[in-house]
Amino acid sequence: MKSSRSLRSLATICRQQTADPLRMFHNVRTTRVPTIPTSRPYSSSTTTSTTPPPPKSSVDPTEVAHFNALASSWWDPHGPSRILHLMNPLRHTFISRCMHGTPRTSKPPSALPSKNLRYLDVGCGGGIFAESAARLPTTASVTAIDPTPSVLAIAESHKRRDPTLTLPGRLNYLNTSIEHLPVPSNPSNDAYDIVSIFEVLEHVSAPGPFLEMAMKQVKPGGWLVMSTIARTWTSWLVTNVVAEDVLGIVPKGTHEWSKYVNEDELRAWFLERGWGRVGNEMRVQGVMYVPGLGWQEVGGSESWGNYFLAVRRPDDE
Amino acid sequence: MPPRLQLGAHRGLSSTTYIIRLPVRRPQRRFASSSTDTPEIYDVVCVGGGPAGLSLLAGLKASAITSGLKVALIEGQDLQKSRLRKDASLDSFSNRCSSLTPASVKNLQEIGAWRHVHASRVQPYHEMQVWDGVSDARISFDWESARTPFTPRKPSQPTTIAYMIENLNTTTALLSRLEELGGVDIYSATKVESIELGTDTQQLDMTSWPVVSLSNGKSLAARLLVGADGANSPVRTFAGIPSRGFDYNRHGVVASLQLSGPGWGGLDHKIAYQRFLPTGPIAMLPLPGNMATLVWSTTPERAAILKSLSSDDFIAMVNAAFRLSPTDLEYLHTLSSGQKDEVAWRERHTPAQERAIPQRVSFVQPGTVASFPLRMRHADTYTGERVALVGDAAHTIHPLAGQGLNQGQGDAAALFRTISHAVSTGQDIGSTLALESYTADRYAENNAMLGVCDKLHRLYSVGSGPLVGLRSLGFRAVDAIGPLKGFFMGRAAGGS
Repeated sequence: MKSSRSLRSLATICRQQTADPLRMFHNVRTTRVPTIPTSRPYSSSTTTSTTPPPPKSSVDPTEVAHFNALASSWWDPHGPSRILHLMNPLRHTFISRCMHGTPRTSKPPSALPSKNLRYLDVGCGGGIFAESAARLPTTASVTAIDPTPSVLAIAESHKRRDPTLTLPGRLNYLNTSIEHLPVPSNPSNDAYDIVSIFEVLEHVSAPGPFLEMAMKQVKPGGWLVMSTIARTWTSWLVTNVVAEDVLGIVPKGTHEWSKYVNEDELRAWFLERGWGRVGNEMRVQGVMYVPGLGWQEVGGSESWGNYFLAVRRPDDE
Repeated sequence: MPPRLQLGAHRGLSSTTYIIRLPVRRPQRRFASSSTDTPEIYDVVCVGGGPAGLSLLAGLKASAITSGLKVALIEGQDLQKSRLRKDASLDSFSNRCSSLTPASVKNLQEIGAWRHVHASRVQPYHEMQVWDGVSDARISFDWESARTPFTPRKPSQPTTIAYMIENLNTTTALLSRLEELGGVDIYSATKVESIELGTDTQQLDMTSWPVVSLSNGKSLAARLLVGADGANSPVRTFAGIPSRGFDYNRHGVVASLQLSGPGWGGLDHKIAYQRFLPTGPIAMLPLPGNMATLVWSTTPERAAILKSLSSDDFIAMVNAAFRLSPTDLEYLHTLSSGQKDEVAWRERHTPAQERAIPQRVSFVQPGTVASFPLRMRHADTYTGERVALVGDAAHTIHPLAGQGLNQGQGDAAALFRTISHAVSTGQDIGSTLALESYTADRYAENNAMLGVCDKLHRLYSVGSGPLVGLRSLGFRAVDAIGPLKGFFMGRAAGGS
């Protein structure tokens, strides 16, 4: 496993280069904004379904400045967001596997409609995932939200470059955070088939309340899909010790390793709430960036690296 | 009226460095109101209806994932006129033939085009005889001699090295397949007047979209513009992709020939022959029946002489080129006529193993002796923003290994895979990011093939000296080692 570890380390470094909200060097900034920056640290034992703090968008002004600097390069295929662009196709592969099953679990949990799907992308940033979801022929509409106006301006401006995306209703950007979205009164009708939260969770101080708000947006039978990074000794070593102290390429104190969420913690958390109890209604896939090969799915790597997790809202909920 | 943005001028978009995109042929600038010439929006616009472009389009339309793409084909020639007639005679063949590898045939089968081929006009061959015209060192390729002495022949082992087919037959089959599939807007006998970048209206920013203006007045905006438009590709010029290479100072002389028989192996075991002469290789490739096609690389001067000869003298020269010494051939090219008698006289004094060389040419099909300059060209990259190049637009190769058309088929298959993956994951199929895998897939492989064929050409251009001895040694060594030969044959057959 030694080689895997070193790959893992590379993956972590790459990840830090692209996904840290306080990153100061190279003007490398690609991450989504923490949507709810409360101070409560997350763990499966301490988080309960307490009411979240009063909804107010509290985006750090320095982050807004960072995003402004990043703006021009968000869609540059060789810019700082390259690694996120490269990961994007894997997100679709993962989602489609969730919806359609695999040879091993050949029967999909239950039928989502095979077309006219409605997406909600939380923390959409410059729109990398939102645009791609809106382009799929099976998509009816994508609602994509982000609290940072300058980032949404990039997303809006890039959207104009593709006539498919400008079709009425196809892709709507909203400058808001999830706590300001109206909660669907009749989820079977007005909630979303797929709610995605990509590369956001690790920057949320209280993922519990945040996820609960996201869950309310999922249609019964729909999927909540997220990606993040595990909190392990390897990621701590790489991001906090090597990157900050040894190499000094990341300002001291940049990383809040304690914010990383482990896959087993997420699993347990959803199970407690009655989601994902049936075998193939919760799925995890570890992914790893391998230089020269790009992003690869690596079974088992979810416990120590980047991973996708999807959970289906029960039909009867 | 507010001044309109000049189309085609340099537009400073983002930080991307754009080479100024050149209009192919500057059209008379239209000053009509912008609403009347709003381009029609397509996902894929393919310029060029040759084998590579048609193969790509058939692949796209044959697949459930990509068949929903809105696709157009633009071809300057009349596609209907250039189709093979259903009742075409087997005594007459086009002089532009290719050797399709099993890999290319497999791809054509997968996209459903191979069953539209006029099968009676396709000739598989099972053996290749290649020899050095200076030293007579010889190598023979067939799958039987290529296996190791210790492994029995596998029943699944192919016996066919490649398939000789008229390019016209390939394109006709692909066109029939496209007709069957439907859904492609075909602009036949329509020229590309210009290619320019789109404009920024209030609703849409089309400044990264190529807009192709056609001779019929239409204009098409392309999410992905495919340049399948040949060695002098206007699409490549538009994309500002440099193409590097050189002329070999050689011409390929082609002709459709009738031989005195079906070949030494009979109708069921056809043999391809290639002799390396100091001026270039001469190849006799089998077609159905007694027919064969000639590809003779030679100097432009000699090509001009060959084309000026009477049928009898031309036939004599082809027969001589497989039999007489380079010195004899040099003299024969100095005569303006009378080669027939001269060759007959010289052959009497030159021993030849008739069964090791192609059967004699008895007839040359009128009007098929032609020549074209040989070039080596390779584009710096195959993709740009909203542009991809396939076939000769991306690379032009020395014909000595017969790989040109196969490379184009490989390009088409790879670009199809790239587009298909992009569509299924919601990527913009014109974005450089989505297209990256196409260049990665094809560039190194094509470059290696270009390099090998180039070096072979150079090696065999040497008429005397130690190099001749060395290369003969190499020929004999490869010939003696079955597995090594199998490796070379696998490469030629399109495997890896």
